[in-house]
Amino acid sequence: MRKFVLSYLIPRIGQYLLVIFLGVTLTFVIPRLSPNDPVEQQVSQLMMSGSQVSPEAIEHMRVALTEMYGLAGSPWEQYWAFWGRLLRGDLGPSLSSFPTPVNQLLATAMPWTFGLLIPSIVISWVVGNILGAIASYYENNRVIQVVDVVSQAVRPIPYYIMALVLLAVFSYWIPIFPFSGAYPPGARVEFSLSFVLTVLYHSLLPLLSLVLIGIGGWFIGMKSLTSNIIAEDYVVYAENTGLPRRQILTQYIMRNAMLPQITGLALQLGMLFSGALIMEVVFGYPGMGTLTFQAVMANDYTLIMGITLLSIVGVATTVLILDLIYPLFDPRVRIQ
Amino acid sequence: MKPYILSRREFLAQLGLATAGTMLAACAAPAATGGAAPAAPAEAVADREIRPGVMRSETLILENPTGKVVPADDFNRWRPGIQSASTGLQQLGLDALWYIDPDAGIDGVWDNSLAAEKPIYNEDFTQMTVKLRQGIYWSDGVEFTADDLIYTVETQKNTQGMAYTGQFNKYVASIEKPDPYTVVFTLAEPNSRFHGLFTVRWGACFMMPKHIFEQQPDPVAFTFNPPVSLGPYVLKDFDPQGDWYLWERREDWDRTSLARYGMPAPKFAMYIAPGPSDKKVMAQTSGELDVIHDIAPEGMITLARTNPTSKGWFPSFPWAHPDPTLPSVIYNNEKPGLNSREVRWALTLAIDIVRVAMASYRGAATISAIHVPPTGLYPGYYFDPMQEWLNAFTLDLGDGASYAPYDPTAATRIAEAARASLGDLVPTDEAAVRKAIGYGWWKYDLEAAEKLMLKAGCTRDSAGKWLLPDGQPFKIALMAEGETRPIMNRGAAMVVENWVEFGIDATLDVRDNATRTKLVLLGEMDAEFGWTIETWGGHPDLFFFLESWHSSFYRPSGENAVGRNRMRWQHPDLDPIIEAIQRLEFDDPKGIELGLEFIKLAATEMPITPIMSYNVFSVCDETYWEGFPTSEDPYTNPVANWANTKYMYVKIRPKA
Repeated sequence: MRKFVLSYLIPRIGQYLLVIFLGVTLTFVIPRLSPNDPVEQQVSQLMMSGSQVSPEAIEHMRVALTEMYGLAGSPWEQYWAFWGRLLRGDLGPSLSSFPTPVNQLLATAMPWTFGLLIPSIVISWVVGNILGAIASYYENNRVIQVVDVVSQAVRPIPYYIMALVLLAVFSYWIPIFPFSGAYPPGARVEFSLSFVLTVLYHSLLPLLSLVLIGIGGWFIGMKSLTSNIIAEDYVVYAENTGLPRRQILTQYIMRNAMLPQITGLALQLGMLFSGALIMEVVFGYPGMGTLTFQAVMANDYTLIMGITLLSIVGVATTVLILDLIYPLFDPRVRIQ
Repeated sequence: MKPYILSRREFLAQLGLATAGTMLAACAAPAATGGAAPAAPAEAVADREIRPGVMRSETLILENPTGKVVPADDFNRWRPGIQSASTGLQQLGLDALWYIDPDAGIDGVWDNSLAAEKPIYNEDFTQMTVKLRQGIYWSDGVEFTADDLIYTVETQKNTQGMAYTGQFNKYVASIEKPDPYTVVFTLAEPNSRFHGLFTVRWGACFMMPKHIFEQQPDPVAFTFNPPVSLGPYVLKDFDPQGDWYLWERREDWDRTSLARYGMPAPKFAMYIAPGPSDKKVMAQTSGELDVIHDIAPEGMITLARTNPTSKGWFPSFPWAHPDPTLPSVIYNNEKPGLNSREVRWALTLAIDIVRVAMASYRGAATISAIHVPPTGLYPGYYFDPMQEWLNAFTLDLGDGASYAPYDPTAATRIAEAARASLGDLVPTDEAAVRKAIGYGWWKYDLEAAEKLMLKAGCTRDSAGKWLLPDGQPFKIALMAEGETRPIMNRGAAMVVENWVEFGIDATLDVRDNATRTKLVLLGEMDAEFGWTIETWGGHPDLFFFLESWHSSFYRPSGENAVGRNRMRWQHPDLDPIIEAIQRLEFDDPKGIELGLEFIKLAATEMPITPIMSYNVFSVCDETYWEGFPTSEDPYTNPVANWANTKYMYVKIRPKA
């Protein structure tokens, strides 16, 4: 155990903290290299509106905005203040939605993204892997062959094309699904059965679009992995012993092929914080992707920083957890 | 003994069944709750509940062009930068002293809204008296009086960071209240247009409820939630995510200024964020959106072809409502080359307006050769009287001959080009074409442009590219908006293409709005495709934009431009015109004469090249409501974020 802690756990936690430190520092530095000064942007926009504001009023506004945006002081002072706020969990105010805190915007958007992306990732991972393994092992099955062809056809379609086609077909030509949003205009956000059902209904089409594309990827990946394994000696031996084919598939083939797929799943889950930008924009879904899009369009760099930070922490944490639980999935890692 | 009640397989099977059942129930849910299912067009006429107690047939649903509003719960309209202005707040909840309609108006272009009569100035315009209507009440039952008006002005004057702090500090010396319905402003300097601050053209200084704001320690930070209304509707509910705002007609709507024109027909109004153009098409086709604020030309064409109940401002091509703004090529008149009148004119003659109109609006543009927008009542005020002068106007090309640059057939040529793709949707009648697409424009004549460039001392290099008189390459980066206004981007791209064909080293410089604004204000640009001219639309007074074209507002490149003189143009004949307008009363007909003088001066000097009005494809659907404003009944502007659209509510009626 002591060896595990010293040679495995501590180095990985050290790596994790270093990645986060570098990520946070880069997140602080990069927007400041931009030629855009958010204070001057706000001042310019007011003046562009044709308002004849006195120079004294403009200067007053400039000072006030600099303070409010946390841009007062030297870069070093700003950097330490940034860390101080960050450790208190304060990401500052959004510049485009001033004075709303970035935390509040993220907290509002995150449940929508999680609620849609987690089921879509899990469903496509489970279905794609099972079908991929079956396609590899039962390669002469007609149904599986059809699934194989469909997966190969769907996989290369760019996601936005798939999403738009689904939207046009099921919301416009055959209007059985809503075309936008997570709930209809006029519906009050509340925790009631009718609202939950309405949200589920609004989520079906975006979910379908993500699952269709997702299944294709996992399917091809799993099929490729298992096609090598079925030729392994231990699989041939198992077949010769007369074990049921289903048992060979699940316990001999899939288990040995799962490791890269579990890594892929974990990384996808880690990317949750950045949302599914195209899906959310196409379907007008109010999650992290939409928030990112709005932040970029509005040059709202405190919000962009907040989203980036979450994404960095999300991926780094997932990789750390994965490193720690790998031995549970693969005894070979434990031995090493 | 089994350790679990269910085996793994039984558990998975039951989980699957439960999930499938939930999904099926969810699919059926909207029909049961009546909230969400988009109906097929044929079914859309059927009534339904938007939410309990809110019937679709009683609700007008409009686009809020701001989109998602964040923060959703901030209604302090008197703080700059607020996002909720167009959620119905300024259209239905707030009210102002006067309104000028950009079109013909419900009872003429001028409306005394909260004021009982027009502003009363003394002889030298140092005093303005306002008489207020009596019997107007806020939605919480408090009467609107002179105290509210005085509080509105004094609070903003004395509080840094409010929308009119600068203006009120500059213009207002003192305020008096002779009686509860009269306010007398003593002005710090003569100003015949002081009332403009209180006169709605899209927006203005709306009245603040004194009894609410005076209880707040910080009027800037106060979010005014829930807003107390002075208009005929009160906010019933809104989406915490800022996607929709639901307003309900006040029980005491007859105690508001709009009651003079009758009861607003919709019991409810909902402003929503419908998303991009394709979503708006889907929403209107399925009866989910009555008023589209603006849509891409392609979306308009789809609606015109597929949804017979969708109506534009014009009954057919070009459909769009021309805003009283004038997208133009705005030159930096201080840049080498562009500081020459001949060069600016050469660049104008090198623009093919037909191709620009086709590129930007697929032909559905309303063009303008002169420096006022071809919108509202301006054709009558300025365009008709100018035609004779324009036809006779000549340029000296430097070869001894006089050249007449005006092309009165430009609109007809645009109509012909549009007809190639849109067929019979494009009118053929000359009067209809003039009304919809505009009058003439400047000739596309590269030969004349060449002579003007040579007259200015420019030459061509061996590759045929133009050089400045000092031998330096003549480069123009035309700055334009990107994704936020594709119409402008496409128009600018075509202008660049025209200029490149003429031998100018021109490039399209697309910047995000913030950067573009900063550079343009500082004069760090060669030229910009944008607008610096906008007018009242319904009223001929040009002081609205000309005020800041006066040389006293001029700032050289490198300093932030003040007001609208981003082109940094000065001319000795311009100031006297502006000063003469300022000395006139607002309605003095001499204002039009002076306006015509300005137009002739601007056409001669061409400090910016006017292109067209900013056409807004506002589309009203007549599935549930009819009587929307159109070019045939232009009682107000249908563009949903204008505060003037409140007049629409008393004119529309439920579809029988």
